[in-house]
Amino acid sequence: MSDGDQNHGDELLSEEFEEAPRPSDEGMPGVRMTFFRQARGFVGPLLTTVVAFFVGGLVVLVTGHNPLKVYKAIFEGTGLNWFFQIGSHSARIPFSTAHMWFPWDTSSIAAENLQQTLLLTAPIILTGLAVAFAFRCGLFNIGGQGQYLVGSYFAIWLGTSFVHMNPFFHVTLTIVIATLAGAAYAGIAGILKATVGAHEVISTIMLNWIAIWVGSYLFGAGGPLQNKLQPEIPISGDVADGAKLPVFWGLKLLQGLSIGIFIAIAMLVVYWIIINRTTLGFAVRAVGFNPEAARASGISVARNYFVAMAIAGGFAALGGAVDVLGWEFRLGPGDIQNSSIGFIGLAAALLGRNTAVGVGFASLLFGSLINGTSGRQLDPSIFAPELAGNLATIIQGLVILFVGINLGGILVWWRKRRASS
Amino acid sequence: MAETESLLVTAVTARLGGFQWTSARAVGAYGIGFGVLAFWLTLPPLHTRTTAVPVVVGILAIACGIFALAREERRVGGGAIAAGVLGIGLALVAVQSSVPHLNQVVVWSALFSATLVYSTPLLYAAIGGLYCERSGVVNVALEGMLLTGAYFGIWADDFSHSWVVALLVAMLAGAALASIHAVWSIHFKVDQIITGTALNFLALGITGYLFIQHYGDAGTPGNIADYGIPDIHINFIKSWPFIGPIFGQLNLMIWLSFLLLIGTWLFVFRTPFGLRLRSVGEHPRAADTVGISVYKTRYIAVISSGAIAALGGAYLSTGFVHSFNQNMTAGTGFIGLAALIFGKWRPFATWFATLLFGFSSALADRLPIAYGSEWGTLFQALPYVLTLVAVAGVIGRSIGPAASGRPYERQ
Amino acid sequence: MADAPLLELRGITKRFPGVLANDDVSVDLRRGEVHALLGENGAGKSTLMNILYGLYTPDEGQILLEGKPVELGSTKGAIEAGIGMVHQHFMLIPVMTVAENIVLAIEPRRRGVLLDYDAASKRVRELSERYGLAVDPDARIDRITVGQQQRVEILKALYRGAEILILDEPTAVLTPQEAQELFEIMRALKGQGKSIIFISHKLNEVLEIADRITTLRRGVVVDTIAAEGATEEGLARMMVGREVLLRVDKTPAKPAGPLLQVEDVTVIDDRGLEMVREVSFDVRAGEIVGLAGVDGNGQSELIDAIAGLRHVKEGRISVEGADITNATAKTALEAGIGHVPEDRHRRGLVLPFSLTENLALHGYRYAPNSRRGFLNLRTMAQRARRLLREFDVRGGTPLTPAGSLSGGNQQKVVLAREIDGAPKVLIAAQPTRGLDVGAIEFVHRRLVEQRDSGRAVFLVSLELEEILSLSDRILVIYEGRIVGEFPPTVSEEELGLAMTGGRKEAA
Repeated sequence: MSDGDQNHGDELLSEEFEEAPRPSDEGMPGVRMTFFRQARGFVGPLLTTVVAFFVGGLVVLVTGHNPLKVYKAIFEGTGLNWFFQIGSHSARIPFSTAHMWFPWDTSSIAAENLQQTLLLTAPIILTGLAVAFAFRCGLFNIGGQGQYLVGSYFAIWLGTSFVHMNPFFHVTLTIVIATLAGAAYAGIAGILKATVGAHEVISTIMLNWIAIWVGSYLFGAGGPLQNKLQPEIPISGDVADGAKLPVFWGLKLLQGLSIGIFIAIAMLVVYWIIINRTTLGFAVRAVGFNPEAARASGISVARNYFVAMAIAGGFAALGGAVDVLGWEFRLGPGDIQNSSIGFIGLAAALLGRNTAVGVGFASLLFGSLINGTSGRQLDPSIFAPELAGNLATIIQGLVILFVGINLGGILVWWRKRRASS
Repeated sequence: MAETESLLVTAVTARLGGFQWTSARAVGAYGIGFGVLAFWLTLPPLHTRTTAVPVVVGILAIACGIFALAREERRVGGGAIAAGVLGIGLALVAVQSSVPHLNQVVVWSALFSATLVYSTPLLYAAIGGLYCERSGVVNVALEGMLLTGAYFGIWADDFSHSWVVALLVAMLAGAALASIHAVWSIHFKVDQIITGTALNFLALGITGYLFIQHYGDAGTPGNIADYGIPDIHINFIKSWPFIGPIFGQLNLMIWLSFLLLIGTWLFVFRTPFGLRLRSVGEHPRAADTVGISVYKTRYIAVISSGAIAALGGAYLSTGFVHSFNQNMTAGTGFIGLAALIFGKWRPFATWFATLLFGFSSALADRLPIAYGSEWGTLFQALPYVLTLVAVAGVIGRSIGPAASGRPYERQ
Repeated sequence: MADAPLLELRGITKRFPGVLANDDVSVDLRRGEVHALLGENGAGKSTLMNILYGLYTPDEGQILLEGKPVELGSTKGAIEAGIGMVHQHFMLIPVMTVAENIVLAIEPRRRGVLLDYDAASKRVRELSERYGLAVDPDARIDRITVGQQQRVEILKALYRGAEILILDEPTAVLTPQEAQELFEIMRALKGQGKSIIFISHKLNEVLEIADRITTLRRGVVVDTIAAEGATEEGLARMMVGREVLLRVDKTPAKPAGPLLQVEDVTVIDDRGLEMVREVSFDVRAGEIVGLAGVDGNGQSELIDAIAGLRHVKEGRISVEGADITNATAKTALEAGIGHVPEDRHRRGLVLPFSLTENLALHGYRYAPNSRRGFLNLRTMAQRARRLLREFDVRGGTPLTPAGSLSGGNQQKVVLAREIDGAPKVLIAAQPTRGLDVGAIEFVHRRLVEQRDSGRAVFLVSLELEEILSLSDRILVIYEGRIVGEFPPTVSEEELGLAMTGGRKEAA
């Protein structure tokens, strides 16, 4: 079979002959080049999302529900419809009592839904960056969940201590320490990879579970960080008021949107800057694309593995801190064991192709999806929230599943084939 | 089965007979034994209360370890030193605790039977993973396969009132999930870890969805126990002092898991098919050049792994707990993966790892009786810590099948 | 001995994109003979053998077995036709035993399901005794020597009933003693009626063991002659041939002090073999030293050692007196080593990176490309534009990914980067591999320019014309040792001779 020749030849070919450039490389981009431009393209992720939602819709249909109604209800739960409700309203300027004209109603139900969506989007962005940064260095960081949790533990610990510290310092100190803790935790996997070559997937999966159980211990009944005032309830103490992140939209008591979302968006920018504008990012990318060439250029592959993991862990831990200081305020073993933000971030990074913009949008998508399917937002008569929650999980799984196949690349290849035949 | 028996006897005697009793490796093994002994001495029924004794034994263990290390036996040497240190540490803890507490927690028969119960789903998951990974395909979706088996097993049991049907359906469901892994990894050549992670999500979502859809708030019916996978009662053993409580009434699936273990060892290391399976996982191009179909072998291995792992889940839901809850496996699949790695992809070593991890879970269950629940919780982290240490130091880097995780380009 | 050939390859033509690997090649093999296939890298030997072993299908031509045409189609077909191949890179599974590897896929069974290990061991022992290939059936492959592994490969083929054996550069991985043992085995096999095709580039060995020798050059058969009466010089001439030389105009060299000093360097490769053995030489400022040798004789390992990419077991490497033995790649770079690697895709370029980024691959961490950790993209882009212009790189802008350039332009980028780094010592490994004539000329001119501006240029190449036209001094490496130093006026035959183990020193 002539097709087999090319494949077999690859090994032996490189020893003897150099492949002449194929004509397609000069003119229309080949599929290979499409891969390199993936970062700038959004066709692939868009297609993946559509397919995933489509299949999700099929699941809904097959189990006797109306997918269109369900998706509509979910959409309304996300609060994204708020952007379409343009009118003339008076909105309060954050952190003051003054009001000003605003085209959107900032206290409608859709507004509240949107606040919740954005509250969820912030940690997803951060755990997504944790995965994305490591990927840029060629590392598969599945440990975002553990790193997130470690960040949240330190945030609780510091947030519940130093009660009388100046709020600005308190918040800053807590966030910084939590981030460093996550960086150190991920750094363990980085060091293991750099020194003994231990596969980061295995070590980060183990670290995930270690974090879960250590946390359950810390905040569980009898644990060292359990709330001393309520010994019967396995939960941590409450974060001091001074350490809580200011809420800028919505009511503080009703879990309004904290400035955590801004921190997350700022981190998207930081990520972009580091990756594209610093020598560190240059080295990380070089190692990620071609460790051998990087090594030949004097770049230390091992050191970059460690640094990449540490920075990734820092991002995820920051997510934990933002959540704890932004709306959670306390942690119990149940919260810890049911949390899956780290994995949602993984899906977001994969869908967003590890770019800042991509992760941003993908996180918004997943934040919306999770919020829209949660018990708070969904009308049970249309679709039970527990079903919806599982549907969200299914869609996440489908997204990750289809992301790998590179639907965008297949589309280009298919178009090319049609064009040439 | 005379053939098999003689094979087993040969295998065991080969291991013992070929064993050099004074080699560095043997001494390292003794060291590990001494480390365990140091701790065991302080436990019921011996209740050694003087710290000197276990400390001495532990130091002996460390000495053996250093001896082995000096002779280039890094693994057993490191293991012996670790066992010695750990043994001393745990012994000191035990000596600090009161005797009644120890007696409450360390009830050996209860611990061992709980160990068997906890380790069985691990074993199914790990053995399933063994087939898959030995063919060169990484499988992080064991968790999802377990969960799938758990749900579909119990659903089929409820539906058909037959545990045989339940097991078959569970296997089918696991195989179906695994077939996605197979197609994605072998045909589409997608990154296998990404696919595995996706499947874990999918399994979680699908089983949860179907569970709510079908059973809603009420949960699975309470009478599942009547149709569950039966326990095997061996009446004449039940009265025996120590063995009785442990082996007298074990679930069928636990006995089956032993058969699976032996069968797997036989298959992988004593049949031509096992040889080919391993060759595909180690050096697919070499296997290809002698005419073995790499694709076909991998497909069969991956799909089988789903079926086998699903059995473990079915045991959990239909044979033990007799109910289903969303995400009831809660990481068991990952412990199974850890056991497989810890056991270096070999059936009996993996079994040892599952017993070890099962034991730590059993201990974690009993610790709260005397010491408060927080210690039980902390102990749950032990399997993962052990595996991390193993991956980091004792085991080292490329230990799995050499071609693991790399898609094969051919045809 | 029958006169009609056992195996005949008639008119085989095979094309790959851009290359004619085999051009109307006809070779025949008689029963019970050892037929050597001689040629340099790129001559087409491996392609021809892969066709014979069913891995490729020829575009034109036929394969005849005992006079009848056969379609091999796959390796399985070749095995069934009685053809066995011992690859240069062994197809053995390291963690399995000898017996397991040999019987794989056709295992003897007990009771239908179980593998009969005893029978397997026994059969392997019988086979190894019959052919004089001593191996321990129960030994693990990764614990036996390379020579023994090769015997296992041969046994594998014999176990499957091979009557024709193809040995692809079998002595490349053997010590001289093991090579002699191999020849004994080959003679024994001959005596048992087996026929062997022996691929090699080593003239002395070919003359020792072969009955007939076919020489290939650039995809074409030069001649098939009897080994008896053939000489190394004659063979070298056939192998290397007389080509139009691309001589570069250059003024005579005016070398100054040594910039690169390599003293008694020994390097061990990943398999534990000594690939570089006590090599010593200098490269002075203002000269080009060419290292000639057939691929696989230690050149790659030597270059790696100098560039800081491989461990040096013994010896000393220094640049202008500064010791860089076993230094990191970064230290070597900073000490003034420039390196144009032989595999630009793997080592030279990061293909998804833009041309600007690739050009800055060494210098990104220093001013003016960056300041305090932040990249100065404008400076980098300016530099890139300048270099792309200076080096006439076509096919992209500074932002184009390197992967979309043609091979020649990619090489120019690598060259531009290295030269712009103003190294004291420039190592150029296969710098014109796969390039068209224009690009080759460009690269050559640049190398001479570097030499004229006082750099030390160390050229390692498999192309003799290149070595001859560029070098001021020529060293020849064979089996890890420097076996001769020649002036550029040396003849190709002499060089070819030294490269393939012949002994003839320069006047």
